[in-house]
Amino acid sequence: MQPSDDVLRDIHRRMVRIRIFEQEAGKLMEAGKIPGALHLYVGEEAVAAGVMVHLSDADQITSTHRGHGHLIAKGGEFHKMFAEIFGRVDGYCKGKGGSMHISDMQIGMLGANGIVGAGPPIAVGAAFTNKFKKSGNVAVSFFGDGASNEGSVHEAANMAALYKLPIVFICENNGYGEYTPQAHHQAIVDVADRARGYGMPGVVVDGMDAVAVYEAAGEAIKRARAGEGPTLLECKTYRFFDHVGVRGMGLSYRSDDELAKWQQRDPITLFEATLIEQNIVSAEEAKVVHDKVEAEVQAGIEFAEASPMPDPAALLDDVYK
Amino acid sequence: MAESKTQPEARELTYVAAINEAVRAVLTEQPDAFVAGEDVAGAGSVFGYYKGLLEEFGAERVIDTPISEEGIVGLGVGAAATGLRPIIDIMFMDFMGECMDEITNQMAKMRYMFGGTAYLPITVLTMSGAGISMAAQHSQSLEAWLCHLPGLKVVMPATPYDAKGLIISASRDDNPVFVVLNKMSLGMKGEVPEDSYTVPIGEASIVRPGENFTIVTYSRMVHESVKAAEALSSLGVETEVVDLRSLQPLDTNVVIESVKRTHRAMVVHEAVRFGGMGGEIAAQIQELAFDYLDAPVARVGAPFSPVPFSPQLEQSYIPNADKIVAEARTLLDV
Amino acid sequence: MKRPIGIAANPASGKDIRRLVARASVFDNQEKCSIVARCLVGIAAVGHAPIVYFDDTHRITRSAIEDANISATPIESLGTGTARDTTRVAVDMKDFDCRVVITLGGDGTNRAFVKGWLNAPLLPISTGTNNVFPVIHEATVVGVAAALIASEMVCFDDVADQQKVIHVRIDDEDDDIALIDAVVSMDRFIGARALLDCGQLRTAFLTHANPAAVGMTAIGGLLEPLNTTVDAGLVIELSSNPASARRWVRAPIAPGLFQDVGICSLQRVALGHSLEIIGPCVLALDGERERVLKPCQRAILAIERDGPWVIDVERALHAAAKNGALVPAWELNEARNAG
Ligand SMILES: Cc1ncc(C[n+]2csc(CCOP(=O)(O)OP(=O)(O)O)c2C)c(N)n1
Ligand SMILES: [Mg+2]
Repeated sequence: MQPSDDVLRDIHRRMVRIRIFEQEAGKLMEAGKIPGALHLYVGEEAVAAGVMVHLSDADQITSTHRGHGHLIAKGGEFHKMFAEIFGRVDGYCKGKGGSMHISDMQIGMLGANGIVGAGPPIAVGAAFTNKFKKSGNVAVSFFGDGASNEGSVHEAANMAALYKLPIVFICENNGYGEYTPQAHHQAIVDVADRARGYGMPGVVVDGMDAVAVYEAAGEAIKRARAGEGPTLLECKTYRFFDHVGVRGMGLSYRSDDELAKWQQRDPITLFEATLIEQNIVSAEEAKVVHDKVEAEVQAGIEFAEASPMPDPAALLDDVYK
Repeated sequence: MAESKTQPEARELTYVAAINEAVRAVLTEQPDAFVAGEDVAGAGSVFGYYKGLLEEFGAERVIDTPISEEGIVGLGVGAAATGLRPIIDIMFMDFMGECMDEITNQMAKMRYMFGGTAYLPITVLTMSGAGISMAAQHSQSLEAWLCHLPGLKVVMPATPYDAKGLIISASRDDNPVFVVLNKMSLGMKGEVPEDSYTVPIGEASIVRPGENFTIVTYSRMVHESVKAAEALSSLGVETEVVDLRSLQPLDTNVVIESVKRTHRAMVVHEAVRFGGMGGEIAAQIQELAFDYLDAPVARVGAPFSPVPFSPQLEQSYIPNADKIVAEARTLLDV
Repeated sequence: MKRPIGIAANPASGKDIRRLVARASVFDNQEKCSIVARCLVGIAAVGHAPIVYFDDTHRITRSAIEDANISATPIESLGTGTARDTTRVAVDMKDFDCRVVITLGGDGTNRAFVKGWLNAPLLPISTGTNNVFPVIHEATVVGVAAALIASEMVCFDDVADQQKVIHVRIDDEDDDIALIDAVVSMDRFIGARALLDCGQLRTAFLTHANPAAVGMTAIGGLLEPLNTTVDAGLVIELSSNPASARRWVRAPIAPGLFQDVGICSLQRVALGHSLEIIGPCVLALDGERERVLKPCQRAILAIERDGPWVIDVERALHAAAKNGALVPAWELNEARNAG
């Protein structure tokens, strides 16, 4: 399933949107303008973009603590996102959730999640709804290599295969859970090796290559929609920033060399070069995409800064319906 | 580290450093003790309190685990039941949701169910509290869950001194002990002796004496309560502040004796008021000192909602000195 | 000094998108590790031989060697997580003058290896998806064959055959190689690598055409079989357009995946035959999209028999049976004493 030019441009735009949003959010956090913790998605853009172009607003995703990229790729709006991570009343969650709980139920984004491994069981529930209602929708659950060691993930995968649910599990393997390298948290290297034990196909794909992700995710999603059951798709990727924020706690748990090596495979640089080489976008058009996103990001920040803080009187709103 | 004027061996240490010193002391004193948890070794914990321990005690005793809370706590239970003395780290208390069976049905009950033939010398360190916009899943105070489980002990140190002493006590105890720490207190400084020492589990301390009013509290709310007591003092109310330090077992004596002297009491905690420890303590006061009370026992706790993210909302959510004073003035009519 | 046995396991084989679209088997790394372990047992049964191994990123061979508690020389992986790691290790194994190299992977793995060492002496074990090049043999026996050859108990020339290859020369870029097939596809990207849509294929250049295999080789094999020993290749022009396709064949283009493939022409060519390809297109080599040709970029494909030497396990073991290579020393002593 090779992508059309329109799809390629769409993937490109989604990746650039994630990159610029995250870079700006990182700067704002480090400047002390954003409260709490931000887990940024820079470096992993090809995964969210390559998967999400296959989904409609009616398809659901569950995300992780590193959730901005998923929301942006799913169609999230910058002004509501910035307002949320600034803790403002016009944010996606009225300022009550913040980065780690950012969500948009309107477009099937069932939330970033502060609990590692919490997404997959919820996605199983969404897939159950899809099957129950025969809606033809699929649920996609993103989780990390670190999360793959949570019991909840295994329980979810087993149930998804058992009930043959329309769901795709996307493991974003960036080689680390916080500051612990994969080799110190699991005895395997390919999380997809576990798929067999769950009773579903497992595939490994280069998560820095948007087209590779697009193709593999496309097949998995097609399979899920056709009622053929779940897939575990592992995308090998890397986060260019620290676990939290840009520079994080300044721990030296990974080498500059390693980072530099992965940065040479920057998913956006690679993809843009291919698009330009193949005359799918021109260098000027690519720049226009960046400039537009840049402007949209600035407008989003301005909107957020102008938005009021939530009224303390609203504290108890929304605990119950 | 500042020089101390009074005792030569007591220095000013932060809460973080006191925890670090306590765990170092435990690992030094107890050859069967080990630390296991997420990012405790290489990173020295995301809060920094195990820094240097990996280098000092090696990877066999300071162990980075997968993100598998149920597995980690289970490992602690099994290791404790078979002769080791684990220190298990659950990074944020909120993550107990992932391992509640191991805590509730295994750790807490094994000894009893097995007719006293097993014992579990396990210490769990975990982090509670709001205040830094970590939002609903990283800010909770869930100690009531633990105190409701016969078989567990629960301590919540307010100061660096108590943190060190309680961790060392916990590790010497042959029962499961939860040491619930507070993230806003990590940078707080206080006097901490260099030597190993214990703070007995189950002993409250009176951190501020007073004769008109008793505030029973624990963890970071001790400091807010002391602040409130100063404010109330200017209104002519001398408040006694009791730091429980240990919630399970609960030092009922100190509380009751204080209330018998002051005749009015309030319980303050950061946890959600409904169903929190305050209800238990208030009930005990009324059971044991009903005739001494001149007013109902008041409670200050968080409102009945998840912890909000936005800083101002969060501030309006967390109990503090002002709210304690306001509540006390209503109660005492001053 | 005995020349060493090389072991190179590809951690990435048997995991790509074909698990999904074509029901191919997963080769998890635990399985690969067990395969290496059984090779080591086979080697030890014959006697000791020095071993050098590819210390792959997934520690497949290293863990087998550590478990077996034997000493062996690791060759560090480049660590790119791509086929370049395997190509690079082939260069090193050539420098080590390995007598024979056991490879674990599919056609792609062996292709990557041969890219680094053209006439390598190979014992390929199949842990891949398309396995035309590696033959299915129990690893224990492959280990025995390797040790027999390394210790000269069996004569290499008697049991090894040199293979045909297709040399790929691309203007302004590095050369490449194919062991089984080089195919021109109208795809634009490497993407998930596997060739899944025959509608995109234009030309296939085959060294083997085996109707009993899967992949591009089966397309040719079902029309005009060509085995490894014949000094010829096959060039097929393909089209999915009913107007230009002269005949159709239903072929398994991957494990578990049949497609009807339109054929415009088919031609058997002699060794030395070359084919010029002009971009834009994608060159798929041994079943995987590998190289993108830009517009007007030229590639020359040429078939030769100057590729790797592949050891025939069956012949090697038959030779061992004949010369008593696996009779234990104590049996020989008893026989001597009795006599
Ligand atoms: C249940 C639970 N345990 C631990 C944590 C603390 N924590 C937050 S992110 C993280 C690492 C997650 O690693 P991974 O799943 O690989 O995702 P990545 O951060 O690499 O994207 C950990 C341990 C948590 N939030 N929830
Ligand atoms: Mg990770």
